[in-house]
Amino acid sequence: MSLGKIFALDKVATFFNIIRQNGGIRASLYKLYRQDELKDGTLVGEDKYGNKYFENPRFFYGRNRWVEYNDKAYLNYDGSQVPAEWFGWLHYKTDLPPHKDPSRPKYKWMADFTENMSGTTGQYVPYSTTRAKVEPWVPKSKSS
Amino acid sequence: MQAIKALGATAPSTLLSVVKKGGFAPIVDQIRQTHLPAPKPNETRPYSPFQDASNMAEMAVARLDDLLNWGRKGSIWPMTFGLACCAVEMMHIAAPRYDMDRYGVVFRASPRQSDVMIVAGTLTNKMAPALRKVYDQMPDPRWVISMGSCANGGGYYHYSYSVVRGCDRIVPVDIYVPGCPPTAEALLYGVLQLQKKVKRMKTLQVWYRK
Repeated sequence: MSLGKIFALDKVATFFNIIRQNGGIRASLYKLYRQDELKDGTLVGEDKYGNKYFENPRFFYGRNRWVEYNDKAYLNYDGSQVPAEWFGWLHYKTDLPPHKDPSRPKYKWMADFTENMSGTTGQYVPYSTTRAKVEPWVPKSKSS
Repeated sequence: MQAIKALGATAPSTLLSVVKKGGFAPIVDQIRQTHLPAPKPNETRPYSPFQDASNMAEMAVARLDDLLNWGRKGSIWPMTFGLACCAVEMMHIAAPRYDMDRYGVVFRASPRQSDVMIVAGTLTNKMAPALRKVYDQMPDPRWVISMGSCANGGGYYHYSYSVVRGCDRIVPVDIYVPGCPPTAEALLYGVLQLQKKVKRMKTLQVWYRK
């Protein structure tokens, strides 16, 4: 074991390395503010929505793959913005990212991915084609 | 609501009667159910959902609303209301793996000091009055997360003689978390969705427009 490791100097080196990889002190602070985490890793790929996927096996399993959402989303990112192609890689269902996996089905009729639209005008609203079993009581107003 | 009641002391009695009869309800709906336009995947999303201020006063009120909502969404305290097996999953989000504390979500045993009630599990007919009472004891603004199939719509016990078919028959529900039981992850996502909903509340803007 080297002297640097005994005095944990490699950790200091890693710290500065993380800062450098994230683009300096300012950029690191911004990243820390935006996603509460500062990590170093290798860029595995980027999806068509601009989300970047990273991996670093130095971290514990479960934390060694992560996504950095598109900068345009700012603080409004959401777990549902990860498209279906990358979901499997991110959740350890597969080790092959979509651009390295030739066996993925790809058909014309496959719908485009959408994020969770709840709370917006694009949200899914279910409807029923049968008559309602329970009818709301609308009381007669005394005045007017 | 507290402010309205305080106002009622000085306001004419007609106003109070309007409030009591539920004339206030549309305004509450206005505050709560403000839907945003659907986001496009590749456009910039600003922090604030209120971007359509036309003059300085509206702008100021919108920013104050942002501040208020920021405070509210950063400290959502749920009322511990475990009814059935879903409560086990609710305990999991308090545990270190899902760690709800990092979102400022802390379980509070008193309804008078909590913001959100997580209805976790089957709501039986016997429990319904108690649930409503606990809900009534919570101060405004308050929210309800319905957790699991049983609380959403009766679920497995939908045809039972002793189960309420959905807790939305008793209390107004903001977020429905599906699953039987939902994973802790799903519940945490529900909490995040609630944060999004709190973020677009227009408390002061509605007051200003009146």
